[in-house]
Amino acid sequence: MKQLRNIWLLTVKDLKLFASDRGALFFAILFPILFIVLFNYMMTGVMGEDTRLEINIATQEPAGGISYQLLAAMETKDDATLKPGEPKIIWLKDYEQAKQDVENKKLSGFIAFPKDFSEAVMIGYGTSLEVIFNPNNTQATAALEGVAQSIASELGAAQVVNDAVISLLVEKDLLSPGTAGDLGQSIRALLTRQATTSDVMITFSTQTAGEVKAENPANFVVPGYLVMFVFFTAAFSASQLVKERQNHTLERILSSSANRNAVLGGVFCGTAAKSLIQITIFWAVGILVFKMDMGVSPLAVILISILMIMVSSAFGVMLATMVKTERSASSIGVITSLILAPLGGCWWPLFITPKWMQFIAKITPHAWATNGFNKLLVFGSDFDSVVPEMLVLLGFAIVFGLIAILRFKTDAE
Amino acid sequence: MGEAFLAVKDIYKSFNGQKAVNGVSFTIDKGEIFGLLGPNGAGKTTVIRILSTVLAADTGDATVGGYSLRKNPAEVRDLVGVCPQDLALYEDLSALDNLIFFGQLEGLNGREAKAQAMSHLALMGLTERAKGKISKFSGGMKRRINLAIALMGNSKLLFLDEPTVGIDPQSRNNIFETIRGLRDKGMTILYTTHYMEEANRLCDRIAIMDGGKFVAMDTPQGLKRQIGDPDKVTLEDIFLKLTGRSLRD
Ligand SMILES: Nc1ncnc2c1ncn2[C@@H]1O[C@H](COP(=O)(O)OP(=O)(O)OP(=O)(O)O)[C@@H](O)[C@H]1O
Ligand SMILES: [Mg+2]
Repeated sequence: MKQLRNIWLLTVKDLKLFASDRGALFFAILFPILFIVLFNYMMTGVMGEDTRLEINIATQEPAGGISYQLLAAMETKDDATLKPGEPKIIWLKDYEQAKQDVENKKLSGFIAFPKDFSEAVMIGYGTSLEVIFNPNNTQATAALEGVAQSIASELGAAQVVNDAVISLLVEKDLLSPGTAGDLGQSIRALLTRQATTSDVMITFSTQTAGEVKAENPANFVVPGYLVMFVFFTAAFSASQLVKERQNHTLERILSSSANRNAVLGGVFCGTAAKSLIQITIFWAVGILVFKMDMGVSPLAVILISILMIMVSSAFGVMLATMVKTERSASSIGVITSLILAPLGGCWWPLFITPKWMQFIAKITPHAWATNGFNKLLVFGSDFDSVVPEMLVLLGFAIVFGLIAILRFKTDAE
Repeated sequence: MGEAFLAVKDIYKSFNGQKAVNGVSFTIDKGEIFGLLGPNGAGKTTVIRILSTVLAADTGDATVGGYSLRKNPAEVRDLVGVCPQDLALYEDLSALDNLIFFGQLEGLNGREAKAQAMSHLALMGLTERAKGKISKFSGGMKRRINLAIALMGNSKLLFLDEPTVGIDPQSRNNIFETIRGLRDKGMTILYTTHYMEEANRLCDRIAIMDGGKFVAMDTPQGLKRQIGDPDKVTLEDIFLKLTGRSLRD
């Protein structure tokens, strides 16, 4: 009971320090929001509400392949027939030319059917659609435009492809409308393929995981940066404990009624409180300014947010018990945050990365958090489907916390 | 002699094989001001850190008000207040916030902590600066806040590790009176200083420590008597005689 009160006192003190530290406030709250506004703005430029989303598709197959029939069925012949929100499908007849255009930046990107598409579909093997954009253009703008485009387009395209194939088969009497539903499922599965990379072109697999609700870039951008910045904040909190050690307040705290666990609890709760403020502001900005949709399960979004705060705070405490100087605390904090963020899918969706990266990503809590958010906000999944993510995040929090406790106990100085 | 409030038994502490405290035993009576003198590196601060449970002794134990350092550290922590040799303050918080925070950690509720904080600030002549950030304070003002924090709570034993370094004579006098006032109310105090005159004026008994050991322990008069007429020799004479004239690293 007494130690709980001490944890509370330590937490309030941390928040007071936080509030009095303009640099920290700027870094933890204003800076991330500026960041999000900027990137969101850039993406909105690509997928603005007024301009209809255009999906460029090409095929590498020789004439006569299934992809030809698909494209013929999918191509938008008359803009006027498009329903609101439905993307316009443009058939790029020349694959090589399209690639050239991407390289020359005339085209921001396109989707291509592979050479073996028909074969793969006939035999029932998987194949992958490519999403091609110009990776040589290292400017964040172009890359992100490409990524944004790819998220929106591949989702939209997969949907269209799916529907097109089925209607095609039904139309040609190859399929009874009754079994069309089952086939739809199989084709979705077929479209879910791993990505492959080549030197010049980045090839994306398309994934369909449920209905595409909206192509609001904020649904992807905000959670990604939120995860990244919450971890940043936690990493910086690690330096708080080091600072306390250096300016001897830790010693003073330890000679008061607070014990070591209360000190760790205080760092944890202080960090968590800061992150909670951060995340609340993020979501508020996301919903009010960027019209984000919380998906079908806002509760799951909130739970994942909270679990993520627990993981990042525990990570901060663990880091705090491992470093000796304030400088090393902040540099390790920045480095881990900067490596883990892209690795964990904060900057671009993991499902567009190569298989090995997706595998490595699994060791980062970031990946589980962003995956959870993507599922909920981009793919419209429900609560149950993110339970694994929640459990893994909880596991991370427990492991980090235990390491912190063990380390801090053996460390009297 | 009254009853011993602090009883230290055979404390040893080494840092990387270097003996910092090499077998120290002593007692302090309730309501006594006990001076701990010694050259730099003698081990004074280490003793205080061990007695305030911040550092664990290698061997040996001590009791505070009957509670063992090893077995009942929580109870010991409730009884002691520490003014560390190094400033231990939150530079970015106000003086008042610092005092209240540490007061609450000592177990005071919000209102008690605020009342004590205001009275200690008055004692230190810093009422005007209550809301000011510590980072804007002068060195001596920080020292006074550092000491004021040690007085927060309901401690029965105070460890004051060089509390008057860098403090001007006006405030210093004020602090002495405060310390005497506390002693008169039954507070037990362990006091370290390098100002011999200060120890002479303030302390009921003095121990001189060197190389991790006590080399003498007596009343100021008693110590001086060891080398001559207590009215003629100073504490400094006996200090230098016992600890030598060589410089410490
Ligand atoms: N954390 C530590 N790690 C290693 N050595 C230490 C540590 N703390 C103290 N020492 C060593 O222990 C010895 C005693 O130090 P201590 O601080 O107790 O001396 P002191 O009597 O308080 O000196 P001063 O008058 O300078 O404050 C010194 O040799 C010091 O270097
Ligand atoms: Mg010292």
